[in-house]
Amino acid sequence: MTHFDPLNLVVVDDDEDVRKALRRLLRSMGHEVQVFASAEAYEDRPAAADCLIVDLRLPGLNGFELRDRLRSRGSLIPIVFITGDGGPSPGDAIAHADVPSLAKPFSDSDLLEAITRAVTDSAAIR
Amino acid sequence: MKTNRRTPTATNRQLAVRLAVGRALGRARDLDDVYSAALDTLAECLDVARASVLLFDPDGVMRFKAYRGLSSEYREAVEGHSPWTPASVDAEPLLVPDVTREPSLERYQPIFAQERIAALAFIPLLSLGRVIGKFMVYYDAPHAFDDEEIKLAVVIATAVAFAVERGRAEVEVRRSEALTATETSVPSVDRWEWALPAGADGGERPDGLPSGTLRQVRHRTLESSLDCLKILDLDGRLVYVNRAALEALGVESTEQLLHRRWVDLWSDKDRTVVEEAVARAKAGGMGAFQRPFRTTAGVLKWWDVVVTPIVDAGGDVVQILAVSRDVSAPWKADAFQAGQHQVLEMIATGAPLPEVLTLLAHVIEDQCEDQVCSVLLLDADGVHVRLGAAPSLPDDFARSLDCQPAGPLVGSCGSVMQLGRPVIAADIASDPQWEVLRDVALANGLCACWSMPVLSSQKKVLGSFAMYCDTPRGPSREELRLLETAADLAGAAIDHHRSQEALRQSEQRNRAILRAIPDWMFVLSSDGMYLDCHINNPDGLLVPPEVFLGKTIRDILPASLAEAFTRSFERALASNEPERLEYSLEVGNEEHFYEACIVRCDNDKLLSIVRDITDRKRAELDAAAQRHELAHMNRVMILAEQSGALAHELSQPLVAILANAQAARRLVDRSPLDVGEVRETLDDVIKSGKRAAAVIHRLRDLLKKSTTALQPLDLNEVAREVLDLTRSDLLLRRVAITTELSPRMHPVLGDRVQLQQVILNLVINACDAMSTVEPAERELTLTTVADDDCVQIAVADRGVGIPEGELASVFDPFVTNREQGLGLGLAISRSIVLAHRGRIEAENNADRGATFRCFLPLANGHVEMVAGRAD
Repeated sequence: MTHFDPLNLVVVDDDEDVRKALRRLLRSMGHEVQVFASAEAYEDRPAAADCLIVDLRLPGLNGFELRDRLRSRGSLIPIVFITGDGGPSPGDAIAHADVPSLAKPFSDSDLLEAITRAVTDSAAIR
Repeated sequence: MKTNRRTPTATNRQLAVRLAVGRALGRARDLDDVYSAALDTLAECLDVARASVLLFDPDGVMRFKAYRGLSSEYREAVEGHSPWTPASVDAEPLLVPDVTREPSLERYQPIFAQERIAALAFIPLLSLGRVIGKFMVYYDAPHAFDDEEIKLAVVIATAVAFAVERGRAEVEVRRSEALTATETSVPSVDRWEWALPAGADGGERPDGLPSGTLRQVRHRTLESSLDCLKILDLDGRLVYVNRAALEALGVESTEQLLHRRWVDLWSDKDRTVVEEAVARAKAGGMGAFQRPFRTTAGVLKWWDVVVTPIVDAGGDVVQILAVSRDVSAPWKADAFQAGQHQVLEMIATGAPLPEVLTLLAHVIEDQCEDQVCSVLLLDADGVHVRLGAAPSLPDDFARSLDCQPAGPLVGSCGSVMQLGRPVIAADIASDPQWEVLRDVALANGLCACWSMPVLSSQKKVLGSFAMYCDTPRGPSREELRLLETAADLAGAAIDHHRSQEALRQSEQRNRAILRAIPDWMFVLSSDGMYLDCHINNPDGLLVPPEVFLGKTIRDILPASLAEAFTRSFERALASNEPERLEYSLEVGNEEHFYEACIVRCDNDKLLSIVRDITDRKRAELDAAAQRHELAHMNRVMILAEQSGALAHELSQPLVAILANAQAARRLVDRSPLDVGEVRETLDDVIKSGKRAAAVIHRLRDLLKKSTTALQPLDLNEVAREVLDLTRSDLLLRRVAITTELSPRMHPVLGDRVQLQQVILNLVINACDAMSTVEPAERELTLTTVADDDCVQIAVADRGVGIPEGELASVFDPFVTNREQGLGLGLAISRSIVLAHRGRIEAENNADRGATFRCFLPLANGHVEMVAGRAD
């Protein structure tokens, strides 16, 4: 287990069970977690966060669209995509093969590693 | 006796026998004549040299009455033997083709050997079903009896038994009459008042009569008597003959007869009887007998003769008086009655029409002096005339009548048939109706023709009965009555024959129909007993007819099936409507399928028509299996279609489970332990576990892999394969299908099974859409069209159509208007068509129903297709 300062994390997932479980897991690791059921709900009240954990397939705006909107507003917030089947809609897997994403289901170490890499990469870019 | 199925020769032979027996017996005047006639006929018809007639005597012992070619030793040895007793009822002929192989006759073997009898037959003589005697035929060598011989023997036996009974009855009647006559008249005969004066010159005078007034009176009395009177001297010579006797004998004057012996006038076989009667009178008693005697005119008459003595005053017999009375008329009446009976019997037993009519002509002719008869038949066309019977008409004349149109070509009879009433040609020589046939008639000695119409019971003209006379005259009242009777009998015979013929034809037709029907037919009683059956092909029968006939369905069929039949029988009996029952039976280790249609017949019986539908059923089952395969395919497809969604569905709860479990692990390590938090976490794990389990349940129908094989396909052929597969289903759903397949279809590249599935889905969808429509209006049209760059297949129905607003979503999964089914068919179809780079469309027809069109690109166009869809 890598020791981190507690991070402010945001989870965007339309599945309540998944949302709740991820919040519980990340909190048990010592992080602060806010959860949103959709990209629109997050955009309504964008909380300051060290990293976003976003399901690719969402009702309304999907994960990629949310990323594009954030980047277009100049936000460089690190994002970890999680996905059930490889893409925001069936058949998109190949088209977005270059985007790092975490395939469901995943373990706590996988998630932590993905978050760490995202935060590190983002810091490197900056 | 059954008379059907005669061969033509058999008919002629039986006709000959019937006529021979009938005429021989008809002419028999006593029982001896009857036996003799029977033996003659037997010898002639069965071609046997040896035969005998035996009757039970009053003590019930079988005794020889007449025989041919049997030794007295043989007769003594076997007399009394009989297979039957007088109590035997409805005995059948017993045939012994080889006496050495007949155990019951063992004790007669030595006498058979001695008499050289190798085969014999016992033919019972039956009267009212009771055995009164038998006749026997004997053969030198073992003899195989054929049916025809037996039939002939039975014909003869029937006639002989009838004649014997009749003869016996007559003997009885005559005996009682004779007794009465003796009691009342004998005293006066004994004291015959013809007292010849003693010593008077009796016998001196040529007429042997006394002189004087008394003589004259008596002479006139004698002369005017209608009876034939003869006076004989004691030597039996004629001394007086009255006028009636002269006429009967056809003699001009007494001179030709006087002093001839009376007995010499009789035929040889009658002389004994005559001599006996004369001897009795000579001895002072009375002699009486009845004998036929032919008059000089050639007419056979029957005479009742009484011979009495003439005594002188001293009581001595001096002369003998013979009084003969013509009793032909009553005899004729009897013969006529017997003849009519025989004709009626022949009609009733179904004897061939020409035979019956020939006998009828003979019977009528026997009643006439010299007339001959003809029966002509009018064809069903009402125009042509056929010769029915004319046994005594000259052949060339009879032939000239046959096959002519009714009218002058057939003389009076032609007019009779046209007019429907009697026509009397009293003188053919001058009758205008005889202009055509006059010469040939006259040349044959036919001078008059009296013709009666023969009418059916519905008064329709069937033909004519005519009597030809050799003198030009009209008929007497008696002759007219005879003609009427004859016409009535002929009508009955023809009517009966025609109805029998119609019946036979309809039976033949029915038999022909039955022969053509492959179904089995069973007639059963209301309690399920097999009474009759018609089986053209016994293959597939559980047991052969000889086993099930007479048994009940419960004896033959498995209990549950018998029960099902019993219920169907009850419903069929109650409702009068056909009941259908489909069932299967294991026959010869193979399962056979049957369809029974049960209807009530004959009021309380059941007709079960059973068809072996094994082949059809197997085809249906095969088709069902193939449809099942395709349905299976549908599920494979839907799974492939939804694999992404399913993976997503399954990964969500797993994510939650894993995250919660790992969180819980950390919570447990914390101090102080927040038990509430841990419990809550574990509850969430359980909840998500259940959710994952539900997804797994949905995947339970995971399907086997199928491979996609792309090849150039003729869409017409694919369509035909689907129609072959669904034909029985369409029939069942009562959907009429019309195909309009383009003759110039270019090949498409595709997977045969998947494209079949598309068409099948469209066909099934169309059928479902019409399930609530009247069966008569359920029409499905399958069309293929060849375009430049694609081919099109369209399925149009006349169903309820697609509701407004649903045209766009009709291909979405789970969109269905049907109660059964998943609504996947169209969705699957679309995904298959899309995979083939084609498209599918739905539209409502202008009048009613909807049309689904599927467009597929040609094989030489874009051929890169999505492969392995169903992997």
